[in-house]
Amino acid sequence: MLRFIAFADKLSGFFGKSFGWLIVLMTFGMSYEVFVRYLLNKPTPWSLDVSFIMYGTLFMMGGAYTLSRGGHVRGDFVYRLWPARVQAGVDLVLYVLFFFPGILALVFSGWKYAARSWSYPGGEVSVNSPAGIPIYQFKTVLVVAGLLLLIQGLAQVCRCILCLREGYWRRPEEDVEETEALLLKQKAQENG
Amino acid sequence: MTDPQVALLMLGIFILLVFLGFPIAFTLMALGIGFGYYAYFDAGRMWRAFNRLGEDADWWTTNTTWFEGFLNNRIFDLFINQTYTVMSNEVLTAVPLFLFMGYIVERANIVDRLFTTLNIASKNVPGSMGVAALITCALFATATGIVGAVVTLMGLLALPAMLKARYSTSFASGIICAGGTLGILIPPSIMLIVYAAASGVSIVRLYAGALLPGLVLVGLYILYVVGRAILQPSVAPRPTDEEVPDVPFGRLAVMIATSFLPLALLIFSVLGSILFGLATPTEAASIGALGGMLLAVAYRAMTFQRLRESVYLTVRTTAMVCFLFVGSYTFSAVFSYLGGEQLISEFVGGLNLTPLQFLIMAQIIIFLLGWPLEWSEIIIIFVPIFLPLLPMFGVDPLFFGILVALNLQTSFLTPPMAMSAYYLKGIAPPQVQLPQIFAGVMPFLFMVFVAMALVYIFPQTVFYLPELFYGR
Amino acid sequence: QAPIVMKMQTSWPASDIWMDFAREYTGRVEAMSGGRIKVDLLPAGAVVAAFQVMDATNDGVIDAAHSVPVYWYGKSKAASLFGTGPVWGGNANTMLGWFYQGGGADLYRELTQDILGLNVYGFMGFPMPAQPFGWFKGEVNTAADLNGFKYRTVGLAADLLQSMGMSVAQLPGGEIVPAMERGVIDAFEFNNPSSDLRFGAPDVAKNYYLSSYHQASESFEFLFNKDFFDDLDEDLQAILKYAVEAASTSNTALAMREYSNDLAKIENELGVTVHRTSKDILAAQLKAWDALIEELGKDAFMAKVMDSQRAWIEKVGYYELMNSPDLGLAYDHYFPGRLKL
Ligand code: NA
Ligand code: NA
Repeated sequence: MLRFIAFADKLSGFFGKSFGWLIVLMTFGMSYEVFVRYLLNKPTPWSLDVSFIMYGTLFMMGGAYTLSRGGHVRGDFVYRLWPARVQAGVDLVLYVLFFFPGILALVFSGWKYAARSWSYPGGEVSVNSPAGIPIYQFKTVLVVAGLLLLIQGLAQVCRCILCLREGYWRRPEEDVEETEALLLKQKAQENG
Repeated sequence: MTDPQVALLMLGIFILLVFLGFPIAFTLMALGIGFGYYAYFDAGRMWRAFNRLGEDADWWTTNTTWFEGFLNNRIFDLFINQTYTVMSNEVLTAVPLFLFMGYIVERANIVDRLFTTLNIASKNVPGSMGVAALITCALFATATGIVGAVVTLMGLLALPAMLKARYSTSFASGIICAGGTLGILIPPSIMLIVYAAASGVSIVRLYAGALLPGLVLVGLYILYVVGRAILQPSVAPRPTDEEVPDVPFGRLAVMIATSFLPLALLIFSVLGSILFGLATPTEAASIGALGGMLLAVAYRAMTFQRLRESVYLTVRTTAMVCFLFVGSYTFSAVFSYLGGEQLISEFVGGLNLTPLQFLIMAQIIIFLLGWPLEWSEIIIIFVPIFLPLLPMFGVDPLFFGILVALNLQTSFLTPPMAMSAYYLKGIAPPQVQLPQIFAGVMPFLFMVFVAMALVYIFPQTVFYLPELFYGR
Repeated sequence: QAPIVMKMQTSWPASDIWMDFAREYTGRVEAMSGGRIKVDLLPAGAVVAAFQVMDATNDGVIDAAHSVPVYWYGKSKAASLFGTGPVWGGNANTMLGWFYQGGGADLYRELTQDILGLNVYGFMGFPMPAQPFGWFKGEVNTAADLNGFKYRTVGLAADLLQSMGMSVAQLPGGEIVPAMERGVIDAFEFNNPSSDLRFGAPDVAKNYYLSSYHQASESFEFLFNKDFFDDLDEDLQAILKYAVEAASTSNTALAMREYSNDLAKIENELGVTVHRTSKDILAAQLKAWDALIEELGKDAFMAKVMDSQRAWIEKVGYYELMNSPDLGLAYDHYFPGRLKL
């Protein structure tokens, strides 16, 4: 179980972080558009399409990564007060009832949706501009993101089971923290 | 049970699940799909293929076709369609870019330069360090759209300085908490982009509309700090020359030029180009991110490690916000399909409220939601419940959005989910206690309500700039 | 017996005059079916976004849609040939004639059902007046002036103006003015004076250019989910189909009244300068169509459609143009000095 958790964390982390670098590409791509549009009076036809494709891919591919690092927002004002075992028990039930159905729908319906997009002669292109930017690969992101969430969800279920047995949470290996969290941690080390 | 009652049940279960602490995006998704399955259940349509099977169909075909009927519910197509709509939402493309810009800029050692300079420059003002801290926060707020880092950075920098200058603990920590929260109100605020995506109000008009109310709030904060320092000098004594050195004017000018001007240039190129319609918010955000990187390089604060951190944090926060949209798009489509929206409209319509009563009621609800919940959940999930009611009371959604943005300042400051206070507590010296922080925050909460009242009495604070820039 | 509720979504904002046009259709359907069909008519975004109505009708997320074919030309550029294609010398009425009597309907069925495998039926109605070249902040007098604009249009017109040096974005009607304020675009056309006025075009641009070859003809597309349609009684199917023809006439009359009233309002009350697009730009548009037609003709199906259109216009256009008297002359005779042709 531990090995599966580690595998899922790594997998989600790999995809989430790799696609995260799209933000740098996006920064340069959009800056390039600003340059050619406002200084050279030659706007590109693709910037609109490319910007939402990068944004959409970035956040969808980051979904599982965010889940593995506990980054999806929860109303945890009561939850945080519970002992770890209670948290794990509640989470376990809720994962089964309220996580997998939605994610399975994402995978299967996403598959249908993307497959149709691939099936058009030459593949579906974006309707937003005449540049003909392909979007069938972008629609496939729905399926890949769904599969990653599915695997990560199973890992979270394993976490719950382990926590029920052991009484404490198995945290993911931390790779990066919000500035505030980092500072908080440094301070805690200094003080204690 | 009628369909609208089912919709209310759906909302009720959702609120219960929020209390149980399950990640909200997935809760919304599952409830949307579950109740959508009920809403779109249509046996004739779902088992059409099964019903058309001839007598000669074999056992396997008969059973698989029958089973496929269960999956043939339109909710699945709706769900994917809504998800794709979020993925291709052009307004939200600015979210990761502004987040990235914020993460880069907060790692660029800007805050300490700015605070040091302003501290010296404002030395002769009553409550000078508090004023310097607030102005630092306000300036920084125009370069970042998020909260958190500012509170902690200022908490590490300004709080010890103020405590050393014998400022009252609760007064000083109130200043930092309130000032550090401004980033989410003053453009380029992520919260306003999210409100734009949720309400359909133009993001540039929201940015223009938020600018003056943001300044009003900063002004009220400063007024309070200066006023309190005059009336009760013991909470904010004048710093000694040792604590804040006197600096000759020439050197001060250089300090301002190196700390304030580059940041001001960055802010102006981002906000200016958005407000004057020279570039789209997405384009401006990319320029801001690029400029932030250059600034960080210039301040020798740019390392690969920091860039990587910024990238990863951008992914996580973007995914957090956008998955909420994925969940809420499906949830709210089903909620209104079942007639929930209609039911709420009729209920509120039947209360015979005046527009003012309605506004007060809505803002009180949002204020109360801000205790247990965070701004993202409130804007993406609860505010859209109010939006269809606005025409009934003749309230402009732009105006409403600014009031909400002001109001949600409080969600960072009020327990039990007072994120700003917790961040500060985490990095403050041990003698700073949470009750002291909350006591210090109270007057600032009051100022938020004063600002809301002022904005209500003088709606031109909201409408003046949008009308000036966009002519209506 | 309870009526069959047909969920029909349009691609238009709730305030657009085209919602009124769609209501003329749904009102006729309800009246003719004696209440056996009830239409739940929704604006763009109520269920899905404006450009997604084809997908949604295909999936059955909605039963029917009121839209235009150019909105799904990402699936195949040939879609645009049934919406706004090359200007062969006929108007929208001539092209609607091609659809119903010149072989267009068969080709449309071939594209949607055989080539793309879409689970829909589509009918065309309401031959639209030619679409104005649109709204600009300043004046544009020559083809060279168009360089560098970020311009909103749709369908093959997008390809056309791209080849003329503009950078083109396709946006649904409801997003045009916000996009203009955000700076996503800096010039645009939508369709007609009434729609343009209602979504606030005069607030963001003060020069309105009438007459253009970029979208000289277009009609509404009435889409129906195939399973939904097939399950209906035959008389109800006939009502859904022929109400398109009925609404086509009433839409035309309503458009005449409203479009001209609103043009007067735009010109006289809102400080907008109304121009006719310059000869230079029109000539450049025709030249750009030449190149585009050649490019599109490389696709076998598009070549087939365009050949069919050309054959129709060559004959029908000859008759129409040879036959029609110079109406400008008559207008000028009775209302001298008003026309600026
Ligand atoms: Na900000
Ligand atoms: Na048009």
